[in-house]
Amino acid sequence: MIKKTLLVLVILGSFNSCVVVKEYEKVYLNDPDMVLADKKINKFETSFQVYREAASGANGGKSGGGCGCN
Amino acid sequence: MKKQISILVLMISFYGFSQNATNTYTKRVLENTEVDLISSFYGQDGDNAAVTGGIGTEKLTDIASTITVSIPLNANDIFTIDATISAYSSASSSNLNPFDASGASRGGDDDEEDDNKSAKKNVAGTVNGSPWVESSGASKGDVWVNGDIGYSHSSENRNSIIGANVSFAKEFDYTSIGLGGNFTKLFNEKNTEIGLKANIYMDSWQPAYPTEIISYKEVNNNLNDGFFEGVDILDQKGSIINKTGNTVWSPFNTSLVENKSRNTYSASLSFSQILSKKAQISIFLDIVQQNGWLANPMQRVYFGDRANYYIGNASSISNYTSSKNTDVFQLADDIERLPDTRFKLPIGARLNYYINEVISLRTYYRYYYDDWGITSHTANVELPIKISDKFTLFPTYRYYIQTSADYFAPYEQLLSTNKFYTSDYDLSEFNSNQFGFGISYTDIFTSRRIWKLGLKSVDLKYSNYKRNTGLTAGIISAGFKFVMD
Repeated sequence: MIKKTLLVLVILGSFNSCVVVKEYEKVYLNDPDMVLADKKINKFETSFQVYREAASGANGGKSGGGCGCN
Repeated sequence: MKKQISILVLMISFYGFSQNATNTYTKRVLENTEVDLISSFYGQDGDNAAVTGGIGTEKLTDIASTITVSIPLNANDIFTIDATISAYSSASSSNLNPFDASGASRGGDDDEEDDNKSAKKNVAGTVNGSPWVESSGASKGDVWVNGDIGYSHSSENRNSIIGANVSFAKEFDYTSIGLGGNFTKLFNEKNTEIGLKANIYMDSWQPAYPTEIISYKEVNNNLNDGFFEGVDILDQKGSIINKTGNTVWSPFNTSLVENKSRNTYSASLSFSQILSKKAQISIFLDIVQQNGWLANPMQRVYFGDRANYYIGNASSISNYTSSKNTDVFQLADDIERLPDTRFKLPIGARLNYYINEVISLRTYYRYYYDDWGITSHTANVELPIKISDKFTLFPTYRYYIQTSADYFAPYEQLLSTNKFYTSDYDLSEFNSNQFGFGISYTDIFTSRRIWKLGLKSVDLKYSNYKRNTGLTAGIISAGFKFVMD
């Protein structure tokens, strides 16, 4: 477990050393399809998955509570 | 000389221009009020209803709508109001009371309170029900309402965002109050982002129970009183039992929900990083602890080591697990029992890549662990394809697999010697495939208008979901985004 955690930390650290992309170079990254979040249209789709499956969370949204679901 | 003066004036004007430039203009976090409307229609069917102990119809439809209004209070602050309503009709929930006279047993009214006091008889003078037939009691449908109010503040340099929210939700047997806070820090020229979030949900049950169990408690275990008065109870062979004898039906456990609270505490860490001019990644880690009554008091269980008893047509007992059974119902051994704590640890990652001006790639993966014995993997891929400057198609595929909870077993395979037990197939071992297809229309100039609202985008999506346990589902969603003048 400790080894895995260290590996994740090393990977995260290596991201930070990536080439810095300037604001004026972010035209592709600013495309609406590149947003690092679930699309709003998926709100109720995610909701039924939370009800029908045991797993939830780790998607930037809710991870439990608020309903009589799993 | 004139030339020198001209050059000097020109240079001074440049100086003045640069001064204006350094007197920085900060873009508002949100230029105008935005309104998002999303509606969906969901339908499912399957043969493993949890309310009827892991067998029976799972037919369910749900219509839901949400409106989110984001209001810029000033250049840095946003106030958000979100309201959601979701109305469902469920065959399995209706069988909380399968003996409802106007449902499986054909006739009478919809008053579940009355149904609990005395079983209704049909025109033939018998009481029956079936896990395969939708009943019509009060529990056949419900409305879930949810409200959420949020506030966020961004720093002048837009490198810090702090926010908070409160929420309230209500359904017929459940109430929830939620509080949350979040903090996001951007650095490395906004190439790196770290977010922290904490939420608390203080929920409570207003429990509803299977009719036979709550009725048994109400008549102090007297099978000749209340709901059971004048109703024949059958054994496995279809013979009518002597209700005052030694071998009669009784619930295994007559203690019901003792602690009606169900609290959820979650902490989330997110990390986002730009990898190149065309790629970015984010990683999410949630730590979730739940305490309280985590089982659903509506859900029956049937033990393999206890005798079976029925109400209804004796000749249908041999067909009980077949959908051909329309007129006999097995009395529950108990409601599901699950531990009063649950620890969840999901970790997920998104990786988006801009392939070219036409196609992008959106991917998502999640690993999930909890201390009920469930682990799962979720993989999702989406391929947005721009077919014009306003229209984008987005096919999606999602694969999901989970292991079973330690406490799950199918109908009649649970043992009464266990401390915890459930036949809810949402906690069973299964995998699912989901295919989706969407189309989105975007008009950045908001040329189409309704009152003061300009239509910015429209999204339509359909997804089809299939589980290897037999559950199938489909959902169609429509979303509209408006910007106010």
